[in-house]
Amino acid sequence: METLLMRPVASCCRRLASSATRTPTPAMLLPQQPARGKATSARARRALNIPPHPSFLNSNKTADASNQPTEEIIYNPPESAASVYHTPVKFLPPSDPRRRANLAEILAASNPASSSSSSSPSTTQPSVESFPMLSKSAPAPKPRHHLTKEDIEEMRRLRAEDPVTNSVVSLARRFDCSQLFVLMCCQAPKEHREKMKAVEEKYKARWGPRRRAAREERARRNVLLYNGEI
Amino acid sequence: MPRYTTLICTAVRCQSTAASPSIPAQGTPEDDYNDGTDHTRFPPLENLPPRAASMPSPPPSRALESAKLAALHARLALPEKLPLQTLARALVDASADPNPDFNNSTLAFVGQSLIHYHVGEYLMCRYPRLPMDILYAAMKGYAGPTTLHHVARSWGIEHAAAPGGEVDPGLLQFSMHKPGDAITGFGYQRAELKYLRKYHWRHSISSRIVFDNDFGEIVDPEAERNTLRRRADTQYGDEYTRSLAERAYANCARAVVGALYTHAGRESAKAFVRAHILSRHLNLSQLFAFKKPTKELSLLCAREDFEPPIARLISETGRLSRTPVFVVGIFSGKDKLGEAAGPSLEHARVKAAMNALKSWYLYSPGEHVRVPSDMFTEGAKPWEPAYIDMGEIIGR
Repeated sequence: METLLMRPVASCCRRLASSATRTPTPAMLLPQQPARGKATSARARRALNIPPHPSFLNSNKTADASNQPTEEIIYNPPESAASVYHTPVKFLPPSDPRRRANLAEILAASNPASSSSSSSPSTTQPSVESFPMLSKSAPAPKPRHHLTKEDIEEMRRLRAEDPVTNSVVSLARRFDCSQLFVLMCCQAPKEHREKMKAVEEKYKARWGPRRRAAREERARRNVLLYNGEI
Repeated sequence: MPRYTTLICTAVRCQSTAASPSIPAQGTPEDDYNDGTDHTRFPPLENLPPRAASMPSPPPSRALESAKLAALHARLALPEKLPLQTLARALVDASADPNPDFNNSTLAFVGQSLIHYHVGEYLMCRYPRLPMDILYAAMKGYAGPTTLHHVARSWGIEHAAAPGGEVDPGLLQFSMHKPGDAITGFGYQRAELKYLRKYHWRHSISSRIVFDNDFGEIVDPEAERNTLRRRADTQYGDEYTRSLAERAYANCARAVVGALYTHAGRESAKAFVRAHILSRHLNLSQLFAFKKPTKELSLLCAREDFEPPIARLISETGRLSRTPVFVVGIFSGKDKLGEAAGPSLEHARVKAAMNALKSWYLYSPGEHVRVPSDMFTEGAKPWEPAYIDMGEIIGR
C-alpha cells in the first residue's frame, strides 16, 4: 500500500525536478489527476478484485456442490455502539438467571490458557491489559481513613491561617491524602477566594475573541455531552 | 336517578333512559332551540328531544343515536358491557357541564388512578434500578397529560366548537370560556406551599415520594385555578386554548379507562392500559442527565465491591486530524462496563462512564416481567418477589 501511494508522488517530484529549469506551463499548475497506481488496467482490476467478506459467501457446502442457489439470511451488521439496554454481566444481580447462563463464557474469558488453543474466539480477542490506560497513574487505592478529627481540624486551621502557603497541594502532601479530600474538608477564607477569582478574571480579560468563543463553545458542548445529546 | 343541575333549576335531568318517563311534563314539549331559524325552510338534521338545547351537555338518551359514538365504541373494541351512554359521558369535560353526575370528572379520577398504578408498577418491576427523578419523568412520559392527549387524538376523537345539549354526543365537549369546577390536579398538597413559592424552598426528591403528585410536581390548586380563570378572556386559537384542549383530551382518555373499569372490571381496564398506554415506546436512556458521571461510577464500583473503574483506549483514528475519533472503554477488572466514541479522549471517557451508568440504571429482569396486579387473575402462579435495588448511588 505504501508503494502504491508513494509512486505517484515520486513521479510527480521527478517531473517537477526535471521542469525546474523551465518556466511552468499552465497545465503543470493544475492539480494532478489521481493515479491508478498500476501500470496496466488489467493489473489494477486484478488488484482491486478482493474477495467478499466470509459472511457473504454461501456457507452451505452441499448447496455449492449441487450448484443450486439457496436462500439464506446474511447477518453482517456494521460495527456500532453497544446499546445501554444490554446490561454487562458484572451489573446483573446475583439472582438473575443470565448470570448462570453466561457462566461458561465468563470462565473461558477469565483464564484463556485453559481454553482450547486456536478455535475459541476468546483467545483471538485482545486482553484488557493490551489497551492503554487513559490516565497516567494507576487508579486511586481504597481510602485509608487514616486522618482523625483532630487532623482535619488542624488542616482547616492551617488553611484559614495562611491559604497561600498552605495550598491544597501542600496540605495534601503534608497530610498524605488526596487533593479532593482537602477540598472536601476545608474552604479557603473569603478574601483569598475573591483574590483568586480576580486573578482568574484578569486572565480571562486578556482572551481574544477566538479563544473566548472557543471556550464558550466548549462549555456548550459539555452541557450537551452531560445531557446525553451528543 | 333524577338530579337538579346547578345551571338549569327548572329542568330535570336523568342519567338513564329508564328514568325518563318520570320527567314531569313542562309546558309544551316543543324544541326550545330558538335561534330565529325557520325550521320549515331549514329542517333540523335530527329531531332533538325537548329542552335539549338548553342543557349544558347532550342528554344521555341521545347517545344511542350518535353514529360517531358507536364508531368510537367499535374502534376502541370496547366490550358490550360498557354502554354508549357512559362513553358519551366520558366525552363531556367538567368545563362544559359542571354537574359531576353528567361530566367525566369522576370517571377521569378513577381512570387516572388506574393508569398511574399500572404504569408505576410496570416501570418499577421492569426497570427496578431507575433513579427516582427518572422514574417520575418516565411516569410523565407514559401517563402525563400530553401523552394522554395524543392517545385520545389517535383514537379519532374530535371536539365540538362549543358545548351544548344540541351537539353530537360523539364529540368531545369542553368550554373555552367557563373554567368549570374541574378537579384541577390529583395529589398531596404541601402545608408549606406558600413558602415554597415565596422563598424558593427546595423540595427534595425523597419528599416528593410522600407529597406532591404522581409525577413529583407540586400540587398548587390555586395556581391551577388561576390559569383556568384566564379562560374567560382569551381568543380562540392561541397556545393557551390549545393547552385547554389538551387538558380536556387527556381527561377524556382517563375517563374512558375509568368507564371501562366501572362497567367491565379490572382486567379489561388493565388490558386497555397495556394496549393503549404501555405499548407506546419511550426511550428511557434519553431521560438521563449527569453532573459527575465518572465520580458516580467510581462510587458505584466502590459500593458494589467491584474493582475501581479504569478508562482504556480501545481504538482511535485521526489523532492529529481535525476530526479524530477515540473509542474508550471503561473496565472494572477484566469486565467492560461501558464504551463510547468521542472526538476527544476526555469526551469519550465521560460518555463511556455515562453509558456504563445508564446500563446499570436500565437493568431489567426481562421483557415480560410479572407485576403485582398479575396476581389478581384466577389461578395465577405463586408470586416470586420482584427484584428490588438497594437504592441510588448519589443523591440528586
